Amino acid sequence: MMAGRNLRAVLVAALAALVPALASAQQEIKVGGIFDLTGVTSDVGKPFAQGVQDCVAVTNDAGGINGKKIKLLGADYAYKIDQARALYKKLVNDDKVVMIQGWGTGDTEALKDFVGQDKIPYFSGSFAAPLSDPSKFPYNFYVAPTYSEQLRSWLDWVKQDYAKSGGKGKAKVAFMFGDNAYGKAPIAAGEKYGAEIGVDVVDKAVLPPNFQDATSQLLTMKQKGVEYAYINVTTTGVSLVLRDAKKLGLTVKFGSNPYGFSESLVAVAGPLAEGVTGVVPHVPFGTPVPGMKVLEAAHQKYHPNDKHDAMYVRGWATCLVWTEGLKGAEKAGQLNGPGVKAAVEKLADFSTGGLSQSVTYTPTDHRPTMTTSIYQIQGGKLVKIGDYIMPRTKEWFGL
Amino acid sequence: MRCGDFRESYAEDMSLFESPLPRVLLSGLLLFLLVLPQFATTYWLDVLNRICIAIIGAVGLNVVTGYTGLISLGTAAFLAVGGFATAAMAGKAGLPFVIVIPLSGLLTAMVGLVFGIPSLRLKGLYLAVATLAAHYIVEFTATHWDSMTGGVNGISIPPAQFAGLVLSDDRKMFYLIFPVTVGLLFFTKNLFRTKVGKAFVAIRDQDISAEVMGVNVFRYKLLSFAVSSFIVGVAGSLLAYQARIISPENFPITLAIDYLGMVIIGGLGSILGSIFGAIFITLLPEMLRLGTDALSNQWPALMQLVAPLKAGVFGLVVILFLIFEPDGMAARWNHIKAYWKLYPFSY
Repeated sequence: MMAGRNLRAVLVAALAALVPALASAQQEIKVGGIFDLTGVTSDVGKPFAQGVQDCVAVTNDAGGINGKKIKLLGADYAYKIDQARALYKKLVNDDKVVMIQGWGTGDTEALKDFVGQDKIPYFSGSFAAPLSDPSKFPYNFYVAPTYSEQLRSWLDWVKQDYAKSGGKGKAKVAFMFGDNAYGKAPIAAGEKYGAEIGVDVVDKAVLPPNFQDATSQLLTMKQKGVEYAYINVTTTGVSLVLRDAKKLGLTVKFGSNPYGFSESLVAVAGPLAEGVTGVVPHVPFGTPVPGMKVLEAAHQKYHPNDKHDAMYVRGWATCLVWTEGLKGAEKAGQLNGPGVKAAVEKLADFSTGGLSQSVTYTPTDHRPTMTTSIYQIQGGKLVKIGDYIMPRTKEWFGL
Repeated sequence: MRCGDFRESYAEDMSLFESPLPRVLLSGLLLFLLVLPQFATTYWLDVLNRICIAIIGAVGLNVVTGYTGLISLGTAAFLAVGGFATAAMAGKAGLPFVIVIPLSGLLTAMVGLVFGIPSLRLKGLYLAVATLAAHYIVEFTATHWDSMTGGVNGISIPPAQFAGLVLSDDRKMFYLIFPVTVGLLFFTKNLFRTKVGKAFVAIRDQDISAEVMGVNVFRYKLLSFAVSSFIVGVAGSLLAYQARIISPENFPITLAIDYLGMVIIGGLGSILGSIFGAIFITLLPEMLRLGTDALSNQWPALMQLVAPLKAGVFGLVVILFLIFEPDGMAARWNHIKAYWKLYPFSY
C-alpha cells in the first residue's frame, strides 16, 4: 500500500508540474537547443549554452517576442552525432520547434541537409565558410566572420607585424590543426590567401585528437624556421602547444581561432599565453560596450559566482540575432521556419550592442560580417589590436 | 509451463524452442513490432531503428568476441567500412539497396579477414591492440580518401531505393531494417548449431584442445572475423542509409567501446544478450536525456547541472551491472525464466 501511495504522490506532483506548462503553451514560441554540455567540446560548449539560456530568460522577462514567451527546449548531445540526429528529429517532428540553436561542426554538418529539407533555421557555433552560401545551405546561420575570413585577417596581421618588426622577405607561417572538419575548415583558404599577399605557409602540422604532446610537430616547425603559427584547435590544445613551445625554446608568435583564444586561455596557460594573438568575434565578458550591461545584470541576478568568458558572450550574441528574427517573423504573422529565415535575412547592419560586429544577412549571402577583430594577450588581459576588414568578394564566397 | 527437461532425441536437443509456447510468444512479439511503427512518432522510430542497427552490430561483435573469444576493438571501423561502401555504391553508383547491403557486408568481411590475420599469433589484450590499430587505419583512410569518403566533411547517402520503392522516412526504413535484423538473428542463432559455430566455441573455450580435436584454428578464427565483420558491415550499411550523412566523426573509438559494452552487459556468447545489451545501451542515454529534459525544461537553470548527471548515471549503471550481474542481462533473464518455470515450487 505504501508503495502505491508514494507512486500516487509522485504522479500528482508530476501532473501539477505539467499543468502550468500546458496552460501557457498557447503563448509560447518553441525553439530547440542542441548543446554540448558533457562531450569533447564541453569546455567551450557549456558557457555558450549558458549564454543562450540567460539571453532567453532575459528576453522573456522583458516581455518575450511581442508578448509571446520563448520556450527553449535545450538538451545535451555530448557531441555524439547519432544523439544530435535523434534530438533533431524529436525537436522538429515531436516538439515542432520553429528553429534550432545548434552547436559545433559535428552536429551542424550532419544536419545541414535536413534543416534545408525541413525548413528549420539552424544557428550554429560552427563558422565554416560553406555554410554561409544560401544557394547550398539556405537555412544555416551564424553570428561571426567565417573561419576562412578569420584566418585571412590573421594573416594580414602577420604581414603587418612582420614588416613592423623589420623582417626581411616573406614571413614564414605554419598552420596547426586537428584532422577533423573544424580543424581543417579554413586551411585551404589560408594557404591560398597567404600566397596572394606574400606570406609563406611553410608547414601544416596535424594535431591528433586529444593530443597531450606537440613536440614532434614543433620540432619540424623549428627546422623549417617558422616565425608565426596559427593553432586551429580549442583552448586546451592551444595551451599544450604553448607549453611544448616554451619547453623547446621556440620564438614563434602564436595565434588562434575563436574557440582557442579567450579569457580561458589566460586562465589555463597563464604566463605562457603572453603575446599570443587571436580572433575574437565576440568581445570578452566585461568589455565596456553598451550591450554588456544586460549581461552583467543577468550575471548578478542568476549566478553571481560564475565566471564568464567570450564563449558566454558568443551564445548571448547569437541568441540576440535570432530573437530579432523571431520578432520580425511574429510581426509578419509567419512564426515558422521560412518566416524566421525571411526575417533574419532582412537584418541589415543589426547591432548586438557591441557584443559582436553588426550583422547583415541577405537571401543570397549569409556572411554576417566581413570584419574580424584581432586581440592580443598583454599582461594577462585580452587587448584589441585591430579590426581587419575583408572585401565581400564573390571568389571567397563559401570558401 | 514445463518443469523439467524432456528431450528424448538429438533433433529435440537441437531445436530452437523447447516447447510451443515460446514459439507463439515470439511470433506475437514479432507481429507487435511489425505494427508498432504505425503508432510511433518520428523520434521513437529513429530510436527503434537505431536499436535494431545496434542489435545487428552487437550480434556481429558477439560472434567474434563472445563466441570465438577474440576481443575486437574494430567494430567502429567495420561499421565505417560498411557505411562508406554504401555511400559509394548507393550514392555514386546509384545501386538499389538489395545489392548494396549484401555487397557492403561482403566488402567489410574482406577487410575483416585482413585485420583478422594477426589473430593467428595474438590473443587477448594483444589482439585487442591489433584491432585498435585496425580502427585507426580505417579512420585515417576515411579521413583522407576524400574522393571516396568525402573526407572530414562527410558524404551524403540518397534514401534507400529499389525498383521504384524509395524508403524516404524512418517508418519505411523500419520495414527494411527490422526484417534484416530478424533474418541475421535467425542466421546467427542457427550458426551456433552447425559445425562452424561449434568450432568457434571450441576455440574460445580452449584453442589447443580445439586444434587437437581437428579444428583448423587459424581458418576458423579468420572465418569468425569474416562472419562477424559481414554482420557489422550490414549494420554499417543500414546506419548509413538511416543517417543519410556520414563522416569519420560518426565512427569514433568510443563507438567500438559502446558495442563492447553492449555484448558485455548483455552477455558474452549469447544472442539474447546482444539484443538486451543493444537495447539497454541505446535506450539508456535517451531515457536519461528525457528525464533530464523534463527536469531542465521545468527549471531551465538546472540544465547545466543536470546534463552531466547523465554521464555519471550511465557509468554507475554499467558498474552496478558488472557487480551484480557479471554474466550479463541474458543470465538474469534465464534466472527469471527458471524461477517462473518452477513457480510456485522454486526450491
